[in-house]
Parts: sequence; structure tokens; C-alpha cells
Amino acid sequence: MLELQQLSRHFGGVKALDQLDLTVNKGEILGLIGPNGSGKSTTVNLIAGLYQPSSGSLRFKGQDIGALPVHERAALGMARTFQNIRLFGNLSVWQNVWAARVVRESGWAGVQARWLASGRQARDEVRQLLAFSNLADKADTLAGNLSFGEQRRLELARAAASGAELLLLDEPAAGMNAEEIEELDQRIRALRDRGHTILLIEHHMELVMEVCDRVAVLNFGRKIAEGTPAQVQDNAAVRAAYLGSDETVAEPAATATATA
Amino acid sequence: MDFYLGLAQVIGVHTLLGLSAWCVLHTGQVSLAQGGFFAIGAYASGMLTSMVGWPLWLALPAASVISALVAIAVGFPALRVKGLMLVVATTAFAEIVRLVFFNLTWRVPGPDGNLVGPDGSLGFGGIRYFPSNGWTSGEIVTLIWGLVAVVMLVLAWLDRSRVGTLWRAVGEDEVAAQSVGINLTAAKVSAFGIGGAIAGVAGAVFAHYTTHIEHSNFTILLATFAIAYPILGGLSSLLGTVLAVVFIQGILIEGLRFLGDWRSLLFGALILLMMLIRPSGMITSPLGRLLRGGREPDGVAPRSASGKEKAHA
Repeated sequence: MLELQQLSRHFGGVKALDQLDLTVNKGEILGLIGPNGSGKSTTVNLIAGLYQPSSGSLRFKGQDIGALPVHERAALGMARTFQNIRLFGNLSVWQNVWAARVVRESGWAGVQARWLASGRQARDEVRQLLAFSNLADKADTLAGNLSFGEQRRLELARAAASGAELLLLDEPAAGMNAEEIEELDQRIRALRDRGHTILLIEHHMELVMEVCDRVAVLNFGRKIAEGTPAQVQDNAAVRAAYLGSDETVAEPAATATATA
Repeated sequence: MDFYLGLAQVIGVHTLLGLSAWCVLHTGQVSLAQGGFFAIGAYASGMLTSMVGWPLWLALPAASVISALVAIAVGFPALRVKGLMLVVATTAFAEIVRLVFFNLTWRVPGPDGNLVGPDGSLGFGGIRYFPSNGWTSGEIVTLIWGLVAVVMLVLAWLDRSRVGTLWRAVGEDEVAAQSVGINLTAAKVSAFGIGGAIAGVAGAVFAHYTTHIEHSNFTILLATFAIAYPILGGLSSLLGTVLAVVFIQGILIEGLRFLGDWRSLLFGALILLMMLIRPSGMITSPLGRLLRGGREPDGVAPRSASGKEKAHA
């Protein structure tokens, strides 16, 4: 569904991402992990279109998307969440999801959805998504007034509402407690069962190993391993990246979050 | 009586101006160009009625369309700048418009043989459509407030419909808005265009009830008022903009006239006080919701019956 080929992004002299090859297959949950500063967020921003690649190609559903602006990539069927939650804080929960739902219509249907009072189907979908996200009774609440966990759920609901086949989840478990992570685990699986393909960028090892079909590991902008969770866990290079070895010194912060 | 009718005209026109800024502010853009669009509407409509001889009912929409087109043309380059830089850029635009009219001299013989048209720094007088067609002050007030009502209905509908939500989403967070597929260009430029159309209408009625316009009517002060109304009134509600105009134009500027020069001092102090007491505007979301009878601006009552029961349980 998504193919990155030799994708690189340099910031000045820093190679934030260096010749990454990665393929996300339809229907899978692919984990992308790595210590802090390894290029995970750069990868998401390159896929979503917030950064332009320095070199390499990006193909989504067979189409080269390297030059498309952010909203056109979204229209092709990808949506993301953010490491630091970005909601429309002064809009209600309902409006947050609903805005994402109506922009996906294009052509005359889009004109109707945006300018005319139509769209019973859109409303039903939003209602259903809110129920799925346990936010049905918060529909009128301003998004900015939700609790942290609710905001995370709303961001997921908003991404799903845009009709995206591919969901890019940028550290969805950040700041969550064990119970919430357990719930997130179920939710990610449920999203996959609803037909979404998921690229999960995460620090939290237990979640990644539990939920992902395949895992790719980045370190210093390069992919150092890829495979099933079990294969990756046994990989010497990965252990070195996370725990440190004589050659590679991992940042202590990364180790702490990885094992938390 | 005439004083109050005159005041009603001023308040009506400024309400339209405030509503034009309201559109643009929704997308998170602080534009000081609204006074420029207002000036363009004023000059265009004045020229159409007094120089070309068009009736007002044609000149008014024409002026609105011209202002909207200019606003769209401004909206595109405005996409490239944000925040303070947008303020600077739109201020520059408004000044350019003012200076164009300062320098524009284009006079033709009118219906009665006298020369009419913009006369540079002397201004553009003889926009006498209302007097020569026997309109009374009362009728002019009715026209203005009729237009205010139409514009408010359209904007209320827009706000409750999809477009308003998309505008607000862009105003809230541009990165998030793009990432769910909202086209920033379309959202911002459409807000500019609709705001420009409203400012054009406002300028057109202004030109016709004052009968004489000149560059000094369209300074930065006017543009500042335009954005002050929706900000002071609270962006969540259209009614707030109207109240803010009544408050500023009716109470602060006219009502305190007996205070003489002390008025300007009090004016500043009162605005400061308002900001302190109600920092998010006179009409805030909860109050607005109360006024709407508990409904959301998009007009959807999203709670299912079961959701409600759960909420009460």
C-alpha cells in the first residue's frame, strides 16, 4: 500500500533519515521503532507531506505522492495522529470528527456536503465513530476540555473519519498509563478490523511487540532491522541500539522509555 | 430623530464591516485589509451610480463582486504569510488602496451636466442616488438593516453548515486541518472572498448615504475597528459582533460625546475593561449555546437517546 524507496531527509548536515526502504502492506499493523532521534517522526512527516524528501521516492497505492501537498495525500486515503495531540480545541468533539468526515467527499458530493444541509450518512458515520471511541456522550464538549486519554481517542476517531485506508499513528501511547495502553491496544486492533492499515510509530515496546504484525527498527536515520516482533527482539543490532554496546551508545532516555 | 437614524446607519454599516472581518478571522487570519475592500466597494458603487447611471440595485451587487474579486486576489498571496506578517501585508494593501483613491481623478459629465467622479484628494462627491431618487433616512436605514439581516442569516447558515466548521478547523490548527484533508488554500481564500463581498456591500451603502467619500474615510483606524468588533464581541457568535458595534459606535463614540475630549480616554479604558472582564468576547461559547437553546452551531443534535441516558445515569 505504501512504499518508501531510498527515502532520505537531511537537515543541514544531519541525516535525519538515510536511504530508508520500507513497505507497508494492506491490512497489516507495521510498527516503526527506534531510540529518540532515530528518524521515526521524520518518517511520518515525510509520508504525510509536512517535510519534503531530500531524495528517494514515496509511493502510495501505486501512485508517486512525493510532490503532493498534505491535504491531497490525505484525500488519497491516509490520515495521521500527532505525537503532541493536535485537535481543533475550540470545536466540539462532534465537529472535530465531522470536519474530517465531510472533507473526504469530492466533486458535487463534496459541494453538497460542505455547503448544503445534506449528509445523513455522514452524520450516522460520525455518531458511530464517536460511539466506537467511547465519546458519544461528550459530543457537545469542546475538544480542548477533554481529558488527555479522551483527546487521544478523539484524534484517532478524527483520523478514522477521514476515510483513510492508512493510519499513521505517531506515538499514540505517549503519556498513557498501563490501563490506557491496554485499551489502546484493543482500539488499534479494532481499527485494523474495520479495514484500516496501520503504521504505528511508538516508543512503548510492550505495545509494539503485542500489537504489530511486523516491526522495523530505525537508528541514526537508518533501518537496522525488520521482521516479526520475535525476530526483532532477538536481533543483536537492535539490542545494541537500545541497550548500548561498545560501538553504539544509546541515549539513556530512549532506554528508559523503551523499557518503561 | 434624524440623529438616531444617522446612528442606525453608521451602526448598520459597521456591523457589515465587522461581519466581513469575522469571516476572515475564523480561518485564523488577522486581516487589516477589510477597510480596503470597504473603500473599493464604496468607490466602485459610487462610480457606477453617479458616473455610469446604474440603479443602486445593480451597483450594490456589482460593487460586492468587485470587492470579492480583489479580496480573492489578496487572499492568495496572503496565504504565504501568517500572524504579524499578515497584519503588516494587509495593512500595506489597505494603504495602497487608500493612496490609489487619493490620486485617482476621473471626472465625467453627470446626468445634470456637472462633472462627477473621484477628484483626487478632494474626494468623490455627488453620489446622490438616494436624494435624487427621493429616499428618506428611514428607508435608507431599512435598506441597511435589511442587508445586515440577510448577511447575518447567510453567515449563520454558513457557520452551522460545513464551511463554517472547516474555516474554524483551519483557524484552530492548520497542520491538523491539512492532515485530515482540508485544503488550506480553498478555506482561506473562500473566507477572504466572502469577507470581501460583505465589506464591498458595506462600502457601497456607506458611499451612498454619506454622498461624499474621500481617502481619509478609509484609514487604518477603519480596519482596526473592523477587526475589533468580532474580537470584542466574541468569535463564537454573530450576535456578539453586532453588540460590539452598538457598544463601540453607539455607546462609546456617540453616547459619551458630552464628555468632550475625555471621551477618548474613557474609550480606551472601557475597551481594556471589557477585555479584562470577558477576554474571549462578550458572547462566549457557553452563553452563545444558551442563546441558541443548547444547540451546536452546526445545527446537529448529535446525541442519541441512549447517549443521553448514559450521560444522566
